[in-house]
Amino acid sequence: VTSAPLGRMRAVRSRPRRRSRGAGLVALGALALIVTGCAAVGRIGPGRAEPRRTVLPNGVVVIAQEHRASEVVALQLWVRVGGRDETPPELGLSHYLEHMLFKGTPTRPPGSIDRLIEGLGGQSNAFTSYDFTHFDLVLPAEHVADGIELLADIAVNAAFPPDELEAEKKVVLEEMRLLEDNPERYILRRVYELGYAPHPYGRPLLGTPELIRALTRDQLNAYYKKHYVPKNFVLVAVGAVPTAEVRAIAERTFGRLRGGDGGRAPLPPLRPLDRHVQHVDVPRPEQQAYLGMAWRGVPTADPDVYAVDLLTSILGDSPSSRLNQIVRGELGLVSSIETGYGAWEKGGLVTLNARLDADKLARAERAIRDVVRRVREHGVTADERDRAIVAAEAEYAFDIETAEGLAKTYGEAETTWSLENERRYLTRLRAVTAADIQAAARKYLGDDDYAIVRFVPQGAGK
Amino acid sequence: VRGPARLLAAAVLAALAVALAPAPARAEADVTRTRLPNGFTVIVRENPLAPVVALSLMVRMGTRWETAENNGISNFVHAVMVKGTTKHDGGALADLVTGLGGRMSASGDVDYSEIRASALSRFWRELLELTAEVALHPKLDPADVDSERDWLLGRIQRQRDNPSARAFDDLYLALYGDHPYARPVLGTPASLRRIDHAALVAWYRRFYRPHMMTLAVSGQVRAAEVVAEARRLFGDLPGGPRPPQPRSPAPAAKSQRLVVEAPAQQAQILVGALAPSLDQPDHAPVKVLATVLGGGMAGRLFAVLRDREALAYTATAFYDPVREPGALVLYLGTAPANAERAEAGLAREVARIRSERVGADELARAKGFLLGNYAMDRRTNARQAWYLAFYDVEGVPDDYPERYRRAVEAVTADDVLRVARTYLRAVTTFVLRPPAAR
Repeated sequence: VTSAPLGRMRAVRSRPRRRSRGAGLVALGALALIVTGCAAVGRIGPGRAEPRRTVLPNGVVVIAQEHRASEVVALQLWVRVGGRDETPPELGLSHYLEHMLFKGTPTRPPGSIDRLIEGLGGQSNAFTSYDFTHFDLVLPAEHVADGIELLADIAVNAAFPPDELEAEKKVVLEEMRLLEDNPERYILRRVYELGYAPHPYGRPLLGTPELIRALTRDQLNAYYKKHYVPKNFVLVAVGAVPTAEVRAIAERTFGRLRGGDGGRAPLPPLRPLDRHVQHVDVPRPEQQAYLGMAWRGVPTADPDVYAVDLLTSILGDSPSSRLNQIVRGELGLVSSIETGYGAWEKGGLVTLNARLDADKLARAERAIRDVVRRVREHGVTADERDRAIVAAEAEYAFDIETAEGLAKTYGEAETTWSLENERRYLTRLRAVTAADIQAAARKYLGDDDYAIVRFVPQGAGK
Repeated sequence: VRGPARLLAAAVLAALAVALAPAPARAEADVTRTRLPNGFTVIVRENPLAPVVALSLMVRMGTRWETAENNGISNFVHAVMVKGTTKHDGGALADLVTGLGGRMSASGDVDYSEIRASALSRFWRELLELTAEVALHPKLDPADVDSERDWLLGRIQRQRDNPSARAFDDLYLALYGDHPYARPVLGTPASLRRIDHAALVAWYRRFYRPHMMTLAVSGQVRAAEVVAEARRLFGDLPGGPRPPQPRSPAPAAKSQRLVVEAPAQQAQILVGALAPSLDQPDHAPVKVLATVLGGGMAGRLFAVLRDREALAYTATAFYDPVREPGALVLYLGTAPANAERAEAGLAREVARIRSERVGADELARAKGFLLGNYAMDRRTNARQAWYLAFYDVEGVPDDYPERYRRAVEAVTADDVLRVARTYLRAVTTFVLRPPAAR
């Protein structure tokens, strides 16, 4: 992409979400999708249809909304299982399941699911995060029943054909290599690791090469049976289909599923960060250096989530953000710099990543700390706050342009906080004052309270 | 992986790679097209569904008009244009756009250059005015020229550090020979160093003329109001001599194999062939061919080489619509240890598609995928604006999408076999892999 961004740049097809990108999320296929914790800004405007949320007797949550933006329907299965539910020997299983579910069921031979979806002119995708695993379809609306039947089938009947399972190991190992080859994504992965370890949010979602090579079908199947149960399922359907029709189809498909309790294990507390302790330098083949930093944010349900969100936006979410204006513009220390806020159900991380020349690493870090210090000491302006709120409003407006964008805000809300919180998000955001933002900076962005990862060129990348 | 570095033009062409097809007739119904007396074209699509607006201002300027000497100048001048206008410096401009809940960026491409912008729709007037300011009154400050050159040199370096981007650049170079499509949109370090402030100003003045420009707007707006505003902003721009269409040497198909060693975790294997331009009758059958081979997870490369044989992580095909000869590229990203077998597998798939007719089911799937993806790709206002401007710049007729859809539907298995034999006869194979010692 050859582009000189002026406002925030949007990749048109899978738009980078503001609050956090890349680090904690792994997508099916080669797409690097985006992590978002507290996700979309939820304003339901006057006259807009509202989502209908129903809980079926077996515990499956169904969220449906009629949306006539185009003649398609977005169908998404969200499962309350992810990286955080894995025990150390199970690392990578959530993601492995994500890869295996579209491989077939007793009634759908390998390859037939892809052929079905694509032959309908649809698209499928899936991704795994710490709090959830997500499968999504976009289909012409007349195929809504085919789509929901397919999701209900793979939700509990995945067959895991042994040769497919073995073959997929190479794919996942390859995915690890691919991640490692991409410095911008990989540094976020390392920052998450350092920012959270030993909490499960710091673990590699892909697992490790050793575990993946040793993975057995029994192990995978046991994990699947334990977590892929009705109480963990959320079905979201947004598109050119009446909600009553979605509910009726959901009742005769998802409504008939049976399964266990699917409870989640408690998580250990998060520890504070200290740049003197959480500091890693990684030798890399690129000619440019990369800098990653992470401060402890708050989880989605925390009332401070709104102030931290605006703070992150003001610091580094656009070319007019403070870090861009000062560290990139005035000081010329970096060629790009960006912040993100990944808020999850049980923890949050404010991350920063920058690309720069290796000899500027130390100066850039000092300059970033200075920028943050100024916010702690002098706060932000009313204008900065207002613009951050307009940006959030725009974020939401562009999210709901497409059926799947709207569906995603609902599914993410249901699995990482709540639909209600999501819908009130923008209202609450608007209530945040400049003083609240300064208070959040003081509380969460202390001078030494961050993890730091540096990718240092080794001169090999000729 | 969006793959190519060069033709990808903002995800745009990657989307098109296997997905060029028509607009639903319904979507075209709300489109109005106006040509101002000075030759400036305005296209507006009213879309009431979300409170947003997106626009694409394209100018007929790009790699196609460039030489090896000034390669990258179209993209370069756009990078400088967004750094400030006679009224606002770059920081102020960025602030203004952000204040609209918007974004704006500009870049060059092969057949056009583009300023694209979007915002909350209640700010559409402000957005359009800022776009006009960047397009018509850029400051083109000499100081910005130097800093943007440095920034672009960094981008080129980053591109070279990215194995797949680099492999695509090198493949195009080998495939197109002396044709301008051989050259990267970003330019080269040598060409960027040669391009000075005076050259950028001259290039800007040569192309930014009303009959060379097309503005497309999509969103929660009223067409009549947008056209009136466009007339106010662009209508007084004086016309001038129209630069001639470039005369490019026709690239010659040839069989060749190139191997480059570079540090990377993955090996990149590309097979490229010259293919029809978007206005040729064979465009639709080659789109179907590309889709059979590399369209999604049921495409042959993915289904066979990735899923069945696990020889690759990424397995896809690209065929972007362009004004002059296109390129059909088959692409695998794989572990270095698998590279040889993956390359053999790719050659096998090429041989197979040239010798056997595709089955009826497979053909139907490919067409469904192609047309379905195109509908999928046109869901946002930004994509709608891009398509409207792009088709105008490429000079295809207004009903091109509908013609195209019919052409895709009419493609037979014999057509696919015929174009496979024609266009995949002589291919360029390009392998980028880490040094064997690792």
